[in-house]
Amino acid sequence: MVPSLIIYGLINSVALALIALGFSLTYGISRVANFSHGALYVVTGFAAWLLLNRVQLNYYLAVFLAVVLISVIGASIYRLALIRVRGMPLLEIIVTFALGTAALEALRFFGFFGSNYSLPPLFRGGVTLLGVPVDTQRLAVVVIGGTLVFILWLVTHHTRVGLAFRAMAQDEQAAMMLGIDSDLMATWSLALGAALVGLSAIVLLPLSFIATESGANILVSAIAVCILGGLESTAGVIVASLLIGYAQILTVAYLGPHYQMIVALLAILVTLIVKPSGLFGKQKELEERV
Amino acid sequence: MKMKTFRLLLMTGLAAGCVLLAAASAFSQQKGQPIVIGAPLSTQYLYGWDAQRAMLLAVEEINAKGGVQVGNARRPFRLEVLDTRDLEPGVPLSEAMLVVEKLILEKKADVLMGGPVRSEAALAAMDLISKHKKVSILTTGSLTPAYHRRIGENYSKYKYLFRITSEAGQLAKEAVDLFESLKQEHGFDQIFIMVQDVAHARAISDIVSKTLGSKGWKVLGSEVYPTGALDYSTGLLKARDQKAQILFVWMDHPEIAILVKQWKDLKIPALPIAGISSAVEQPGGWANTDGAVAYWVASPANAGNAPSNATPLTMKFYEAYKKRWLVEPEGYGTSSSYTAVYVLADAIRRAGSLESDRLVAALEKTDLIGVYGKIAFDPKTHQVIPSYNPKEGAVGTWFQWQDGKRVVTWPATIAMGKIRIPPLMSPSKGATK
Amino acid sequence: MARRLERIDRPIKVLTDDIYALSSIWNMLYVAVPRIFPALLVLLMPLLSPGAYGERVVIITAIYALLALSWDFISLSTGLVSLGQALFFGVGAYIAGLLNLHLGLSPILTLALATVLGASFCTALLAPCLPLRGIYFAMTTLVYPLLIARVIEATAIVGGTDGLVGIDSFPNAWVETYLVLIFLLGCGFGLRRFMTTDLGLVLRSISDNDQAARASGVNVTSHKLIALWIGAALGAFAGAYFTHLYMFVGLSAFSLDLSILPIACAVVGGMGTLAGPVVGAFILVPLAEMLRDLGTLRIVSYSLLLVALVLFKPEGLLSYLKRRYEQVERWVEV
Repeated sequence: MVPSLIIYGLINSVALALIALGFSLTYGISRVANFSHGALYVVTGFAAWLLLNRVQLNYYLAVFLAVVLISVIGASIYRLALIRVRGMPLLEIIVTFALGTAALEALRFFGFFGSNYSLPPLFRGGVTLLGVPVDTQRLAVVVIGGTLVFILWLVTHHTRVGLAFRAMAQDEQAAMMLGIDSDLMATWSLALGAALVGLSAIVLLPLSFIATESGANILVSAIAVCILGGLESTAGVIVASLLIGYAQILTVAYLGPHYQMIVALLAILVTLIVKPSGLFGKQKELEERV
Repeated sequence: MKMKTFRLLLMTGLAAGCVLLAAASAFSQQKGQPIVIGAPLSTQYLYGWDAQRAMLLAVEEINAKGGVQVGNARRPFRLEVLDTRDLEPGVPLSEAMLVVEKLILEKKADVLMGGPVRSEAALAAMDLISKHKKVSILTTGSLTPAYHRRIGENYSKYKYLFRITSEAGQLAKEAVDLFESLKQEHGFDQIFIMVQDVAHARAISDIVSKTLGSKGWKVLGSEVYPTGALDYSTGLLKARDQKAQILFVWMDHPEIAILVKQWKDLKIPALPIAGISSAVEQPGGWANTDGAVAYWVASPANAGNAPSNATPLTMKFYEAYKKRWLVEPEGYGTSSSYTAVYVLADAIRRAGSLESDRLVAALEKTDLIGVYGKIAFDPKTHQVIPSYNPKEGAVGTWFQWQDGKRVVTWPATIAMGKIRIPPLMSPSKGATK
Repeated sequence: MARRLERIDRPIKVLTDDIYALSSIWNMLYVAVPRIFPALLVLLMPLLSPGAYGERVVIITAIYALLALSWDFISLSTGLVSLGQALFFGVGAYIAGLLNLHLGLSPILTLALATVLGASFCTALLAPCLPLRGIYFAMTTLVYPLLIARVIEATAIVGGTDGLVGIDSFPNAWVETYLVLIFLLGCGFGLRRFMTTDLGLVLRSISDNDQAARASGVNVTSHKLIALWIGAALGAFAGAYFTHLYMFVGLSAFSLDLSILPIACAVVGGMGTLAGPVVGAFILVPLAEMLRDLGTLRIVSYSLLLVALVLFKPEGLLSYLKRRYEQVERWVEV
């Protein structure tokens, strides 16, 4: 039992981190809580499915196009809508949430419901680790998740765009004085956040199937991880994913599957009440409470 | 100025549109004298759309033959379907309740048929429907024993309600009998149970583990998953570690497709037997799961939802449905919804009226051969009477996925093939201890 | 030639601003009509609506209007944004159901008790989060109803996933329809009046700038508690009402739609006006009913409409009408 808990806990944690990275990146840079996060995840899945099965593209091309498409959609959400309500968090949430709902319901209208849609796994077969069978796709999740986090760290610490992102995150007005275009960076942040959640959809969806209902779950998971870890910290995302990921697997094993979601929700509540900026959030602590 | 005119035009256009819509709907209600069947169904889900299609098929067939004789007039059926959204997470129940009321009060439904689909909604609608004294035949969704128990407890209040599908108690009995037959044949006696947290699934899990325990089985574990759970690996690994031989699953949410895939990915050496389990039940299950569903056993409740020769009507219905909808009957509410329309037509003819009390009396005397056996209602609880013999009552059906096809393997009276054991399980009989 | 749009108050508005200046019947009508006409309309609505189904829609509309009013009141008087109106609704609904089933209390009594107890329970739950601001508070309120629903699901207390059935309905159709409408009107006008009392003014100052209020010696947290309690009471009443209306309460009493739709109503009607959200509810909910035949597209069109309104008319319908009623616009050259 123990080896399987360790291995599947890790897989669960990396999956959570993948889901949350995009949300955290967007929020960290532009302070936009993108409530269409879950919808973007689902839309990527269906876009890839359409490209694969209707347009009959090669797998890698289809996946690449789907991720590009979703980042363009992310950018246009900012350019066409959010730019008008920037700085009003409530309206930002309403707009992104309503857009996400509209997208999901429209997909349903066009017949994308039920369990008929799934993406093919990138890798087939499996191995046995410590006496536990693990399929290659799940191993791929861990590897891709790890690589993504590393690339993200490289980009934010060692490129001009990344440094501009961090400047925005730390102090938007000072960044603007230094000639950083706030709107441009915010557009990029949404595009990148969308691309990240798109990537996670491509990697994770073959393990399940594409369903419009999963949008809400994805959103709640992303929010749980980001709040626990601190809304803008990549390191926080990783630690929080591990915490929540293992906590969920352990509760399922010893308490029952019902408590899986309760763990995530309790994590949000307790963190918010005790330390709203999360485990690793160090900025803006003054803004969070009276 | 221009902007203003545009706005004005837009407003007038919108208003005119609304008026036209209202007028059109009023007009369409005027012509003819059809019998309106109101169907509150969650049409975005398998258990909604299968019932909708089956009812429409039956209505079309009956109308093509000139309709139903009511007293001395022949009247056609008209089907009014509204989306209750009751299977969608995050939607308040008021939606389903409003839909039921809209069907009764605005669409002037003479009879309700179909749902609401979710047990919670169906139970809540009982009071509402009986308040309006409408006859209602439940054909899909709710399997909870509470439904017919409540009718039995308060007959005078709920006598307008009927259920033509199987219910949890009967399905649990079928499952136990199926397991017993596997024990005799293969010596299986260790079972692990995974069910969804809905009333009927929990009830089945309880009955099954209690009954099997008294019959010398080892029930290794019983996990209850919330609706929409996305990960089953921990439960599956538990079953694997404890050397379960049968994995008994009962989940009607589409997420069971994930469980099927994880069962394959984790190489669990147990025979998976799923009850009513959307993604496994569906003819598309093989393609959807990339063949992972091979060896899965499932039950689409009543015969006729998978090919068999239960009654002369079974394959006739099966082929007619396939021709009309270009897909085989999918969920467990298909053959029952189709049959229900015929049962209703029969009762209306005998009652000679659409008046609720006379219709109830006529429905209670129902005795005809439907797609899944003889249809008759228990006079006290209005639950369809079950049996293993299609000549005596409504017969259930369990099939296994074999080479991309759904092969009915149980009960023996209607079986088309034998259950195969997954190759992962050791070929020698008994436990692999 | 450069022009700009100038807005000035109508003479009659200036004349009637102070009560002692009312001099003619027109002046009085000018003041009275915007208050009396909508109230009359709301009261007459069940009679005007087509058929029994229409009456049902009016009741549901009023329930959503209460939730929207509660949302607007909380945001206006504390500056806190609630994304969890479903919490108040669900708690009220369950308390009413439990009291009726287990103690056999009559619907009117359970309504009153559920309102008071529900509001106190919700306030107690949210009290630790009160120091939070902005998005942090919003997130906690978003999580609470989800969490409670999951806890009920997991522990199978108070009916678990099956909910509670067999709850009494209202004694007759008149009570069923008019109780909620009168309560709504009472709360609407009452709260508007409340905001001009001393306590209301203090609350408003907190929502404008809590640091300044605290610096002036106002106990911010206890004032917020009062405001939250009032807001929660409205929501709990709505939930309790719903329970008796459908003789049933289940997990869906905590569903997300109940949190989102009231905000949509407030945005459409005009935030921060108290009357606006009610107007918004009386537009959106019947509209949603009319669009029902569109099926899934209903929610698509609904969401897009909401986005369009937020982006292009964020002031809301009521503020727009108010401006038109009180001011004239004209182009002047500069």
